[in-house]
Amino acid sequence: MSSNNFFSFSRFYLLLRNDILLNHKKYLLTIVGAFVLGFVIIYMQMPNYSESNPSYKCDASRYVTFFTMCLLGLGAFVGSAFSELSNKVNVSNYLLVPASIFEKFLSQFVIRAIAGIVLFLCIFWVDAHLARIAALSHLKNINGQLAGPEKYAFIEKFHYSMLLIKTTYPVITYWRLFEGIGLIMTFFSAGMFLFSVKIFFRKLGLINTAVSLVAGIYLLVVLMVCFSHLFYPEIVGFRTADTNYLLPNGYSNNEIFQNSIAYIAPLFLLPLGYFKLKEKQL
Amino acid sequence: MINIKNLSFYYKKKSPLFNDFSLELESGRIVGLLGKNGAGKSTLLNLIAGLIQPKQGVINVNGFSPFDRNPNYLADIYMVPEEFSFPPISISCYVKAFSPLYPQFDQQKLNDIFDEFELQAPSYLNKLSHGQRKKFLIAFALSTNCKMLVFDEPTNGLDIPSKSQFRKILVSSVTDEQLVIISTHQVKDIDTVIDKVVVIDNGSIIYQENIDEITQKLYFDLVPSLIGIENLLYHEQCPMGQKIIVSASVGNESSIDLELLFNAIINKSI
Repeated sequence: MSSNNFFSFSRFYLLLRNDILLNHKKYLLTIVGAFVLGFVIIYMQMPNYSESNPSYKCDASRYVTFFTMCLLGLGAFVGSAFSELSNKVNVSNYLLVPASIFEKFLSQFVIRAIAGIVLFLCIFWVDAHLARIAALSHLKNINGQLAGPEKYAFIEKFHYSMLLIKTTYPVITYWRLFEGIGLIMTFFSAGMFLFSVKIFFRKLGLINTAVSLVAGIYLLVVLMVCFSHLFYPEIVGFRTADTNYLLPNGYSNNEIFQNSIAYIAPLFLLPLGYFKLKEKQL
Repeated sequence: MINIKNLSFYYKKKSPLFNDFSLELESGRIVGLLGKNGAGKSTLLNLIAGLIQPKQGVINVNGFSPFDRNPNYLADIYMVPEEFSFPPISISCYVKAFSPLYPQFDQQKLNDIFDEFELQAPSYLNKLSHGQRKKFLIAFALSTNCKMLVFDEPTNGLDIPSKSQFRKILVSSVTDEQLVIISTHQVKDIDTVIDKVVVIDNGSIIYQENIDEITQKLYFDLVPSLIGIENLLYHEQCPMGQKIIVSASVGNESSIDLELLFNAIINKSI
């Protein structure tokens, strides 16, 4: 098979152009909507009165909460990939567009996942700073306006490293990095799962995704129960052996297990989605 | 050209739609694919377009296996489905988005067909009537100059002037390198444009003949009564008497009444 049949830069460019021409209004509205919604979510959660609840400060942990809330929006955007596959009429149009399946898959990945994530990170950063400026402009105590450094202590300036590096553990070690990347990969896996939803389920994508996710987790638990019965004969009933232990660097075997799943899952999810799309029929 | 050999296809294993089905169609023709409801016409078109995969057998269209969905194959086939939907954009935006994906696309031809169909490029697709949107799709399909054009019920929703415009445009724009397949129930709409008839029933070809061969073999006529009619093959009563098909004598040709021919084939009179 000629590589041109698999991927051609000119065709890929035309496909991206096609998608942007067809959906530019939708994308523009999504960006504006995400910007406004992100600002409102962050701003509404920021402290307004320092003395009403002095312990309520906007620090790294609060930014993690904002970020996680806003991630749901990114998930919805990524989950809207392959929207043409949601009804039979559009499926035939989409499958007949003159481009290879790889190009179609990649174009959605570039627009929904890569561009989506980059835009999300930019929008969140701008929103976090704007919301902070807006909140600081009228942050006051009961007696009047707060001034100077006193005021800034209530709302920390947002930077992305605060999402990964906890203040109690500020030094990036090999294991911290492993955990941090594991967290990113977990989000990435969830995103890839959402990205492929329409390829697997034509209707009720979100419900089917939730059901299949629960089924997947249940199967994993069943597998662990089976292994527990195999290697620990003393285990009775639907239970797993408690074999949690710490490594010399303080990392537990269960954490390594969870992070390993997060690392490996996208490797399967993306090719699975691609081959499913390749075999897609009307 | 299309070469289908020993094709088997089913939606449910117990009731196969095609079993050991074979068909060969050459380029440079406009083929009328006829059949009753559920005969498998749309499924055959979907198989040719590569939208569904055959269970067994081989489909070869211009050297490609359709279900491989080779981009070069997809750039040379255009299908106008019976049901369609458009994104909320203007005609010009749609053309700008899709035309570069078809290397043989002819903008001038599109403009000419637009003039013929009285379509305006700035119009929004979703604000057009069903018939106007269908005319746009037909215009776009013909302008792609794809070697393979597939029309599923193209005249459904078209008004009477548009139907004759469609016939005129189709005949004038199709070249010898192209193969056009038209599947329809509205046989009267296409009887002057097709040059081959393929009739399928229960997943099998029950009749296939070129139009010139049909007119050499069969004679179509309208008579007040059947008295004195020889070599009668099929007849149907109509308000003005009887529509008949008889064996044609040498040098005596008539124009085809495709609906009458279809009914005769379905009733196994031919």
